[in-house]
Amino acid sequence: MSSPATSPYPWADRRLIRRRRIKLRGDQVTIAALSPDTANRRHLGRFDLSTPLFVLLAVVLCVLVLLPLFWLGYYALTNKAGSPTLANLARLFTDATIRRAFLISLGMAGCVGVFSCLVATPLAWLVARTDMPGQRLVRSLVTASFVTPPFLGAIAWAMLAAPNSGILNNIYRWAFGLDQSQALFNIYTFTGLVFAVTCYSFPFVFTLVANAFDKVPSDLEEASAILGGKPGTTLRRVTLPMVLPAMLAGSLVAIVQAFTMFGSPAILALPAGFHVLTTKIWSFFQFPPRLDLAAASAVPLLVVTMLLLWGQRWLLGRRGYTVLGGKSGTPRRVKLGNWKWLAGAYVLFILCVTILFPYLALLKVALTHNISEPLSWSSLTLHNFNFVLFEFSSTRLAIWNTLILGLATATIATGIALVVSYLVARRAVPGASLLGMLATAPIAIPGIVLGVGLFLAYANPTFGLYGTLWILLIAFLTIELPAGYQQLSSAFHGVHPELEEASRILGATRLKTLWQITAPLLRTSLIAAWCFVFIGTIRELSATVLLTTAQTKLVSVIIYDLNESGDYGAISVLGILLLVVSFTVVFIANKVPVLGGAAPRSGS
Amino acid sequence: MAFVELDKLTKRYGKLTVVNAVDLAIEKGKLVCLLGPSGCGKTTTLRLVAGFVQPSDGQIRVGGRVVSSPHASEPPEARNMSMIFQSYALWPHMTVFENIAYGLRLRRMGKADIQAKTGRILQATKLESLAERYPGELSGGQQQRVSLARALVIEPETLLLDEPLSNLDANLREEMRFEIRRLHDEFRYTTVYVTHDQTEAMTAADVIVVMNQGNVEQAGSPEDIYERPRSEFVAQFIGGTNIFKGKRVGTDTVDCGNGLLLRCGSGDYAANGQTAVSVRHHDLHLTNEKPKGDPSNWATGKVVRQVYLGSHRDYLVNLSGGETVRAIAPVDVAVPENQQIWLHCPPDRCRALAH
Repeated sequence: MSSPATSPYPWADRRLIRRRRIKLRGDQVTIAALSPDTANRRHLGRFDLSTPLFVLLAVVLCVLVLLPLFWLGYYALTNKAGSPTLANLARLFTDATIRRAFLISLGMAGCVGVFSCLVATPLAWLVARTDMPGQRLVRSLVTASFVTPPFLGAIAWAMLAAPNSGILNNIYRWAFGLDQSQALFNIYTFTGLVFAVTCYSFPFVFTLVANAFDKVPSDLEEASAILGGKPGTTLRRVTLPMVLPAMLAGSLVAIVQAFTMFGSPAILALPAGFHVLTTKIWSFFQFPPRLDLAAASAVPLLVVTMLLLWGQRWLLGRRGYTVLGGKSGTPRRVKLGNWKWLAGAYVLFILCVTILFPYLALLKVALTHNISEPLSWSSLTLHNFNFVLFEFSSTRLAIWNTLILGLATATIATGIALVVSYLVARRAVPGASLLGMLATAPIAIPGIVLGVGLFLAYANPTFGLYGTLWILLIAFLTIELPAGYQQLSSAFHGVHPELEEASRILGATRLKTLWQITAPLLRTSLIAAWCFVFIGTIRELSATVLLTTAQTKLVSVIIYDLNESGDYGAISVLGILLLVVSFTVVFIANKVPVLGGAAPRSGS
Repeated sequence: MAFVELDKLTKRYGKLTVVNAVDLAIEKGKLVCLLGPSGCGKTTTLRLVAGFVQPSDGQIRVGGRVVSSPHASEPPEARNMSMIFQSYALWPHMTVFENIAYGLRLRRMGKADIQAKTGRILQATKLESLAERYPGELSGGQQQRVSLARALVIEPETLLLDEPLSNLDANLREEMRFEIRRLHDEFRYTTVYVTHDQTEAMTAADVIVVMNQGNVEQAGSPEDIYERPRSEFVAQFIGGTNIFKGKRVGTDTVDCGNGLLLRCGSGDYAANGQTAVSVRHHDLHLTNEKPKGDPSNWATGKVVRQVYLGSHRDYLVNLSGGETVRAIAPVDVAVPENQQIWLHCPPDRCRALAH
């Protein structure tokens, strides 16, 4: 294609002409497009799409993140006539029920944070720093409890420890020959709520603290030992202070989780007769709807969450903590000796309470007619499976909706996260870090707050998205974007920028490089991010519960509805289904064949 | 006209000037080394030429066309250059063959052509037997050669090398120095080579450009740079030297205080009289006996350290004026520590430095 006029490819002509026009804008570069010796280059250098892409992404992210927040603020600060008022916010202080819900939320979250830390730290120490057997197994099982949707765990515990029908209480009465009025546990209490939420929040602390324990350089402990510190002293004076920021940061994450959680409180607190802030917001959506109060109540939820996350970032970003980045030598392991029996019992107890008992309860209830029916061969039935999969009409639609939304959200969110993290990590365009902030921002927006914001933003006649899957897609994209983004942006640190520059200088544009070099190198992380988002999506409840209608039910909402009608058999079947799909996705993700021949190495 | 021209090229990051008004003209087919300590701006200069960094001021012209200026820059992919990176930057998910063929595929070349060209370069770099391996399965030297092959196969107008040997061990580094020069003689691409290693620069370069704090200190042939340094920095950085500070007295003599007068065979004298004199370590001659005759270019001092290194002895001498100088002497000149010694600096080996 020496000149546009003689080229046999019309599309090539257009491209050349377009390129030339672009060239002409820069005054000195004109010659470059016309001189004959650059013909070779000309077909190589295509217009760089990164700037328009940046603008597009910025717009998309702004719409996703800022628009719902804008409407939230607007409704919180105006009255029905649309004129500005502080009356809604004032109601937060004058209305005793809102105040009470807020305080209970804070108290519950605080307790969850403390207990998560108390449970997770010894566990993390045991798996990271001792010779306790089965450490890998424990790690993967604790990670597995991440996969359990907290609301499902709460329902499972309701099956186990409800005062009348709870399986554990039945066993207790049967064992001691007591009558129906006696109960060992009552999950429908504040304590029960804290317990059920802690079961699914402590893995956050565990993961952070175990990582921190892994990274404490062994020479720091050896330095203490050589100076005469006994193992106990070393642990107390050197090791624990080094992981303290991770403990605090992890607890803050657990607190945020508990504070913003809708499912578990709705399942356990409402029957107990009290509200937390999230359920209070939900109740404003029930008839008669009070959108202004919902918006106003979302404000303290949002503010406290932001403060907590800001505190967590501050803790992890402190200089003292970054020392942990360098790893020298393998970590020293403490020999447990006979203490290992106690340690084993402790670990077993935690695993039973968080995984084994709830899963067994789900299985038992799924396979029998009635929750209080004793388990025997004759009582086994597939009735519940039959009911859920074939008789109950709304489940098939819900499963279908959930799958579609899961696939769409995972794919789109991973794609956006990839491009954004590329632009940020490589500072490809000015202002790229702004994109990164926008992509991380939703992490500070509790699901139910986002639900309120999205409802206000898109349910109006202009968009008319309420009752469609679109509004759910938007919600899930916003909620899951930070997870995907963080996964990929940390993966970018493992890819040496020179690998991309080598492709650029050999003649590939940015996008081509991203597609041919970066994406294959990030394959494992891309798949992991995709799975994260997928699993996160199919279990989402707190935003969904405000945004679904009969036509757009999802599995999580069906489970929630069935809980209100007390249909535990169907819940168990759906819950097992959800868990099976989640674990299958995790399993497939781990088994994907790694790239042929060589694992990605950074350069050397 | 020079092929690659840097014209007042400047790069600032905030208040920090990393590259300061660098002027440089590189003839077609020449190999130019940018040499300097870390942080001197040499790598930034190279990345400016490659187009990864946009200049704050000045411009870069290649073959007469402006490729970089503060207003508009061609992206790297449009420059028909190639580059060899410090980390080699071999793509771990592609075989050696795929790595090398990548640039050709981008140029929409036919399959047969790609096979032929890649085959030829594999031969030139002695990699034929490794074509189907992955980079992770190669040794450091082999990886280095793949990275060379990948850069050369597209027949770039300009070849850029960013400290290509710094990740190799000493033996391999020496071998690859000659290899790079050999390949350059074979293919004759206009080449810019960044290094902080003077031996590397002297082996490979037609022209050495010594950089310091964003400025070009001196540019010239390896011999020029070594024999006729124009600044203290260049003399120190290339080969190492002893610097005597003094005042010019008469036409070619510098008074360095404490009776030390140095007659200089070459160099520039500063206008205000303050002049430094550089004498290379191996140009200082040691003797036990007090010299007779003309006392200029003679100094005396005490040996504070003497190390036997097999091929020579390395002396550290404390002069009576207080300075410490380093001298390299033949093995048979053996003076014990703490003994007085006389040093002769032949005038034709003394070079005056204006700055």
